[in-house]
Amino acid sequence: MLIKTGVPDIEDIMEITPPKRRREKGPVAVIECFQRIPCNPCYTACRFGAIKEFEDINDRPKIDYDKCTGCGLCLTVCPGLAIFIVDESYSEKEALVKIPYEFLPLPEEGSFVIGLNREGKPVCRAQVKKVQKMKNKTNIVTLVVPKERSMDVRSFSMKDYDDENTIICRCEGITLGEVRKLIQEGYRTVDEIKRISRAGMGPCQGRTCRQLIMQEIAKFTGQKMEDMLMPTFRPPTKPIKLGIIAGGESDE
Amino acid sequence: MNKAAEVVIIGGGISGCSIAYNLAKKGVKDIIVVEKSFLASGSTGRCGAGIRMQWGTEQNCRLSKLSVEFFENANEELGYDRDIEFNQGGYLIVAGTEEENEQFKKNVELQNKLGIPSVYLTPKEAKEIIPHMDETKILGATFCEKDGHLNPFHTTEAYAKAAKRLGVEFLTFTEVTGIDTKCGRVIGVRTNKGYISTPIVVNAAGGYAKRIGEMAGIDIPVYAQRHQILVTEPVEPMQKPMYMGFSLNIYIQQTPHGSFIMGRGDDSEPTDLRITSSWQFLEEMAKTCCELLPPLRNLNIVRQWAGLYTMTEDAQPIYGAVEELEGFYLAVGFSGHGFMLAPATGLLMAETILGEETTIDISNLDIGRFKRNELVFESSVV
Repeated sequence: MLIKTGVPDIEDIMEITPPKRRREKGPVAVIECFQRIPCNPCYTACRFGAIKEFEDINDRPKIDYDKCTGCGLCLTVCPGLAIFIVDESYSEKEALVKIPYEFLPLPEEGSFVIGLNREGKPVCRAQVKKVQKMKNKTNIVTLVVPKERSMDVRSFSMKDYDDENTIICRCEGITLGEVRKLIQEGYRTVDEIKRISRAGMGPCQGRTCRQLIMQEIAKFTGQKMEDMLMPTFRPPTKPIKLGIIAGGESDE
Repeated sequence: MNKAAEVVIIGGGISGCSIAYNLAKKGVKDIIVVEKSFLASGSTGRCGAGIRMQWGTEQNCRLSKLSVEFFENANEELGYDRDIEFNQGGYLIVAGTEEENEQFKKNVELQNKLGIPSVYLTPKEAKEIIPHMDETKILGATFCEKDGHLNPFHTTEAYAKAAKRLGVEFLTFTEVTGIDTKCGRVIGVRTNKGYISTPIVVNAAGGYAKRIGEMAGIDIPVYAQRHQILVTEPVEPMQKPMYMGFSLNIYIQQTPHGSFIMGRGDDSEPTDLRITSSWQFLEEMAKTCCELLPPLRNLNIVRQWAGLYTMTEDAQPIYGAVEELEGFYLAVGFSGHGFMLAPATGLLMAETILGEETTIDISNLDIGRFKRNELVFESSVV
């Protein structure tokens, strides 16, 4: 399910949830890294030895919650944006959630936004407590959310989610309305919609829009996402300069 | 699903859609196009999308000129509600060898005689057209400003939508599993969704053409070969024409969208139906591109993919009827230029099927030429 939809199920989430007692004590890292991939910046970033050394670089990170101070260093270096800081000691009814955020524009501190869950569905109203701009452009947005949503809110929207003008494919600027129109016209696979509209053809290669488009097709046709035709994934997984491949140059 | 049709076209790529449209326009009823995936999902949707009239044989010049003239007005002619994005930025074809250089001069003469406005250029003149090229790598070039780039998805859609309005039925996600014949003629097509009885079958199955031929008991002398392409991030417009070299083995074009699309041929590529991507292509392509057009080394590659060329021995298509099997027609073996010839393919195949005199004589491109040993060689192919 996770592989197809990108959304972890309840068991996946249980596995990475810090104990309630620890969350209430103060800030703690929640590592939502569900796939074995060769990646370990979280371990190298941690100054408190809370993230244990990887035996195999493909291992998923293991964290010692007693050593974790919730400092957030791991959050800013995780290329998968899979690490969040949750602090349930914030107030009686509210918790803080720190979210790695690479979209622009950044929200205003003090403004209200819509908290989104892991499926991108709106779940509550949230207030932007703090916006930290980072050099590596993985900025941190701290949200105040109702305490019972601390393990639920993982992103936010500054607009109404269902707005037809919501951008679905950021690279090519394709809106929800355009995607819906194509589905209504009869296109029923992500690959067809990609070819007609260019959604998913930009530098990120559909990382975000692929699943959003699948959701829209599923909603329209009543199909389950897991029964649908998967879109094609093409190499390279990350943009790379021609000159680097040709030789005589190195990555920055 | 059991159906009957006047004509069944196998393959929902540009050729199949163009043939369907042209037949319907001539008044044929009950045409069914069968496509195993979605329209343009095969070679059409994977092609480099270049359109040119600069060829080395008179026939190819005529076929491509007819096609370009169609594309120029295709949005109106097909009544398309979007845009097929025909961008005539030209083709600059560069010579890498003396032999090629001499041939190009002859090609230009031939092209001009046929009304194709190409010109021969020195390396210095060529550099004025594409300033970021290394002109020391070339010996000369030819340029035709009417060549260009066309969006394969939209063009296929435009044909298909126009055909639908004329009553053509498209069965997508439907796979042909067999072709039934009786007493030397076609009687029907079996698919995974049911049977279609029909007296006429058109094989426009691209890379799968040989397999379709086998289903009808006809050995078609074609083979599928993987060709790969990569595309970069979009950047500001900096290269108007396609840059193409046969001996230098490259084609590279900036699309109207801003991204650069590039490909090259490779004789060691597999000749089966594989369309996976390879690391070797990425490396060879990057080297060729950076050597010939050095400033492009700073562009980011965002995607690579592969598709099938359906090759014939003389790199020319096979058009027309098959002597051994009545009602079985071929529009196959385009050897990498099926997309740009689609308007000619559709018109000429429709004329052939209806027994009309063809607008351009293509009788020499029949399947019989291989047995007669009358191949029609074209040197201008990547």
